[in-house]
Amino acid sequence: MRRRVAITGLGVFSSIGTGAAEFAASLRAGASGRAPLTAFDAAGYAHSFGCPVAPFDPSSWLHRVRPAELGRAAQFAASAGRMAMADAGLTEAELRAARCHVCVGTTEGGSFELDQLTEAWLADGPERLDPVLARQVPAQSLSVAMACELGLADAEISTLGTACSAGNYAIGDGFDAIATGEAEFAVCGGADAIARKTFTTFYRLGLVTPDHCRPFDSGRQGILIGEGAGVVLLESLDSARARGARVYAEVLGYGLNCDAFHPTAPDRASLARCMELALRDAGVKREEVDLISAHGTGTRANDSTEVSAIRDVYGSRVPPVIGLKSMLGHAMGAASALSAIACALAITGRFIPPTINHRQTDPDCAIDCVPNTAVDADLHVVQNNGFAFAGNNAIVILGKHEAIR
Amino acid sequence: MDITAWSAISPYGLDRSCFTGGIRSGRSAMRWTDPAGPAAARACLVPGFDQRDVLGRKGTKGMDRMTGLAVHAVGSVHASGPADAAVVLGSTAGSVRSMMDFTRASLTGERPFDVDPATIPSVVMNTPAGHCAMWHGITGPNATIASGRVAGLLGLSYARRLLRTGRARTVLCGAAEEYSAARAWLWHHCGYGGGPLGEGAAVLRLEPAGASGAIGTVLGLDSRLGTVTAVAESALRRAGITAGDLWAVIPSAPAERDELAGVFGAEVLDRVPRVAELIGDTGSVSAVFQIAAALAVGGGEPGPRVALVTCADAMGTTAAAVLRLHGTGGPC
Repeated sequence: MRRRVAITGLGVFSSIGTGAAEFAASLRAGASGRAPLTAFDAAGYAHSFGCPVAPFDPSSWLHRVRPAELGRAAQFAASAGRMAMADAGLTEAELRAARCHVCVGTTEGGSFELDQLTEAWLADGPERLDPVLARQVPAQSLSVAMACELGLADAEISTLGTACSAGNYAIGDGFDAIATGEAEFAVCGGADAIARKTFTTFYRLGLVTPDHCRPFDSGRQGILIGEGAGVVLLESLDSARARGARVYAEVLGYGLNCDAFHPTAPDRASLARCMELALRDAGVKREEVDLISAHGTGTRANDSTEVSAIRDVYGSRVPPVIGLKSMLGHAMGAASALSAIACALAITGRFIPPTINHRQTDPDCAIDCVPNTAVDADLHVVQNNGFAFAGNNAIVILGKHEAIR
Repeated sequence: MDITAWSAISPYGLDRSCFTGGIRSGRSAMRWTDPAGPAAARACLVPGFDQRDVLGRKGTKGMDRMTGLAVHAVGSVHASGPADAAVVLGSTAGSVRSMMDFTRASLTGERPFDVDPATIPSVVMNTPAGHCAMWHGITGPNATIASGRVAGLLGLSYARRLLRTGRARTVLCGAAEEYSAARAWLWHHCGYGGGPLGEGAAVLRLEPAGASGAIGTVLGLDSRLGTVTAVAESALRRAGITAGDLWAVIPSAPAERDELAGVFGAEVLDRVPRVAELIGDTGSVSAVFQIAAALAVGGGEPGPRVALVTCADAMGTTAAAVLRLHGTGGPC
């Protein structure tokens, strides 16, 4: 018998706001995180917009770990973990008294720092690389930083490097750790920082838009890369009720599969299969789903393939399908975690965040994407899609707390 | 959770029998000094491994060495296995050589996007696991556990959750690391010490307890921030095993061995040759090679034996696994 799992704390660093309240207000307002990128010298690229997180002072968030010792993604992860714990109304002592599960998903890990090391190597050779930067490259630094910041020792601490669906992978893993009774609290989500390597990868593949990000739009031209962290605090529903915690939503289940097909071209049948796996795991019928938060990158291939797969599963009754990357950009490992948080806030706040920058829906993506303006809605079950490079698909199903069985 | 097969591509050679022979003989696989690495840095490479020769020319253009090692090791335990198996692979930071080469091309090219698109997959951390799925047609959960030295044992824990929850019925669980001068320099500057670097890949096929043809059983697992002694004792408690029941204790590095010598006798600590001292520090593959070494040394002998495997990452995480070797169907 698996335990029911509640989301009771949220930690958010995003291009459209920090913290749950600011993030929710921006989602409702349809804010755009688009700005020129300054994380690297963008000279020579024809265009270099993205969705960066505004400058932030990690020392105002981090109590235990020294910001200077952490890479940028690890700073995001540790700060968001601290924020999620506080948001859940928990103290370090309460977390430390129980077995915990710490899991951070990421695409790039310490790539921002690795880029700097490559630059230094070019300039001065490999003999004089900065040891502080070198220690920030291994991806485990993200989850270890978060655990150290919260003073957690009795915890399984892992970094999931499953690229752009890693946030959903991490929330799913935290869900399993709580549901099976392996852990009492899970602090999990995703984090990434914009780096030259990431931008250049997408740019070279012709996937970066010179324009705004417009998921499902006839004129869509691609992604804007983003960054940040989304971290949720999970505990059993019994634990949440016993301590009178606010429950944003329940995690009802999730699904994982792999296309085993192509590194970058998504596979329609495989995406549909992943949705079916997630719905079955959550014990939810498709007609119960009120909203789908799409992977919705704004590329030609993703959006039409994703919508086709949704149609294959949902038939003629497709719920609204929104593309949050229109606001947030593609925050890579943080993307699906931020999207899951947006879904939880939408359930709690009784609204559907819009797909912004929308002009004309592509006939190949004929869905209600809730264009440009949020709408009020009583959401009971929400499906959060996360797909990744190498065909790593992960879909999380969230449910309204009171409404579920 | 049972182990029903294992593979190892290591500095001893391309297959399991090479690994078994090398470990049993206790002979060092350290023969090479990389002129492009830090001064006098020795390294243990998989001899004669080139992904294009071993896997063929088709589909290997631009493939990095780490991915090639992973594809080979997963294939060795997957032959005609279920298509819906899960793949769980450990990593540290992916192929840092590929990543640094890519960024170097961006920084030095005429235009910053004059990079070779064929190399793009290799700059993403989940490529080894994803490529194993593509190469072998494996459509189950596909996870990359980027947790450094403890990744092999955290992978076991992740795999056990996949099996417990029915998300997979078979998990191919292991890790891969490649040697490169880039990795050697980065590791050198981290200043964590330790011996020469090694490389390779090792994979365990895991199925729910009671699987037919099981060659081992995972009795207990634990991981935490803390000492190796604490995590070892906790894993033993969870497994219901006392120190006196142990046939072997297999740490990942000399410092761990020194610490564990305060708890366990020299006889059990010396039962299995010291893997890292023979094939180098293999990063995320360390613990999988340690388990493979236990199977190589103890798996073919009659009667069950219980082994404790420990691992510590330089950033402070530790992990331990308690395994029963069934003593049947051992190494070839």
